[in-house]
Amino acid sequence: MSEAQLHTHVIRAGSVKENDEQLAGNTLLSDNLWRGAGLALVVILWQIGVNVGWINSFLMGSPVGIAGEAWRLIQSGQLLNDTIATVYATVVGFLAGSILGSICGLLLWFSRTVARIIDPFMVALNGLPKIALAPMIIIWFGSGMFSKIMLAFVATFVVALLSAYQGTHQIDRNLINLMRSLGASRREVFTKVVAPATLPWIISAFRLNIGFALIAEIGGEFISSDRGLGRMIFVAGNLFNLNVVWVGVIMLMIVAIVLYVIVSQVEKRLLPWEKGHK
Amino acid sequence: MNASMAASATRAASSSAQGIQRQSVITLEGIKKTFSSSGAEPIEVIEDITLDIKQEEFVSIVGPSGCGKSTMFNIIASLLEPSDGSITLRGSDPECGARIGYMLQRDLLFPWRTIIDNVCLGLEIQGVRKARRYEMARDQLARYGLADFADQYPNTLSGGMRQRVALIRTLITDPDLILLDEPFSALDYQTRLVLEEEIVTILKEHHKTVVLITHDIGEAIAMSDRVAVMTQRPTSVKKIYDVGLSRELGSCLKARSDVRYQGFFNSIWDDLDIQIAGGES
Repeated sequence: MSEAQLHTHVIRAGSVKENDEQLAGNTLLSDNLWRGAGLALVVILWQIGVNVGWINSFLMGSPVGIAGEAWRLIQSGQLLNDTIATVYATVVGFLAGSILGSICGLLLWFSRTVARIIDPFMVALNGLPKIALAPMIIIWFGSGMFSKIMLAFVATFVVALLSAYQGTHQIDRNLINLMRSLGASRREVFTKVVAPATLPWIISAFRLNIGFALIAEIGGEFISSDRGLGRMIFVAGNLFNLNVVWVGVIMLMIVAIVLYVIVSQVEKRLLPWEKGHK
Repeated sequence: MNASMAASATRAASSSAQGIQRQSVITLEGIKKTFSSSGAEPIEVIEDITLDIKQEEFVSIVGPSGCGKSTMFNIIASLLEPSDGSITLRGSDPECGARIGYMLQRDLLFPWRTIIDNVCLGLEIQGVRKARRYEMARDQLARYGLADFADQYPNTLSGGMRQRVALIRTLITDPDLILLDEPFSALDYQTRLVLEEEIVTILKEHHKTVVLITHDIGEAIAMSDRVAVMTQRPTSVKKIYDVGLSRELGSCLKARSDVRYQGFFNSIWDDLDIQIAGGES
């Protein structure tokens, strides 16, 4: 074998690590650049398409039109009012449903009998698309915001309950035996083992429930309401005002992302021991 | 240091002076356990266990795999009732005779509690005030070189450190009997040897009565005063060996290199009658 065919590659201590760190920073930056560029490209092509006449702005809306409507709705204060109404109903219903549901699910740990008896009802309710209850709930609670709160509540309660209850079943039997051998009462086992061990399950139900609460709330607004982003989208859609529909949809995306980030932050606070696991 | 050594020396002297009169902490008499489920044939797991364990004694129970070790553990830990026979506990607890602390292969530290709060668990349940229990826990953690980890969560510690924490949690409530169920089998070999030594030392310092359930013959010989060898299922006590190497030599490592170690090992191995290469179906 001739010497020319031998290759040498030396990795020096330290050089690799530095590269890794740089790489992580660079990746984040370049990812964001690409995202922004991609988005800008779509928006520009869309606008060009509308201007040249390839895209029907009556059916699709246009970026310039959307921006105009957004500015108008911001200035008149309507966008803010509708957003507040929707966020308020969603958050109140979501919190009430998720928290009460989780508590009920946890408490079911105390009685296997009750849990066994209500189990099929819970499963049936869980499978039911909660939006099917909207007409009834609106009849009972009116077309105001309270019926939307109730819808978000119903949509999140069962999910939270089932998730917490299932969580209590995944607890390591040995932890409970250990508590028993130390002389703990049932109440102590509940507060010191069952509740904290189930917390990750509860939090993951919270995350799912953001989506469910928004679906129920917007669905309720579509059916009957006097304000909110759902109503704004629904009314504008009926009037073929696609630009306003887009404003509502974009606003809803922002709301969903903000709520999701808040739950993630709460999760970090509540589950400090899971740091470094992910 | 000197004072504590002197204290333990007097204590050792007095306990040896009492000699034969040393009280038993736990007496198992004719323990039998049969599991019956509806429809299926009842399964006899334990046929007859009779064993008497004295104060400050370290007794190992060694058996072939599948001999119902975990059933034995649960019965001794009072988590399971025997089908027949009796268990007598003598100790500090007015209600159940003696308090039993245990340690398993898995450390069972609560991931949501910091190390110090894990150590405090038993004291908390006993109703010891917070300031007092933290003081006790910090004391013990410092003693075993874990003070710096008091406020960390268990997932940041190594397996050996977590087992040390589990041991401190067990010891801090001062139980009359300590039950160890293969506490080292999840650890690497070196850590295991170090912990063996450490645990025997700690338990002797605390004058604890210990039952170790294990399948590791070497571990049993290195640590114990007596080794009880079990038969296949349905289990009974086949033979009891008076070992006492670690007590005599003052170290598990020395026990392992003693000439008598291999002799014990060979006869226990023969007793266990382990079939290699599919002798049994």
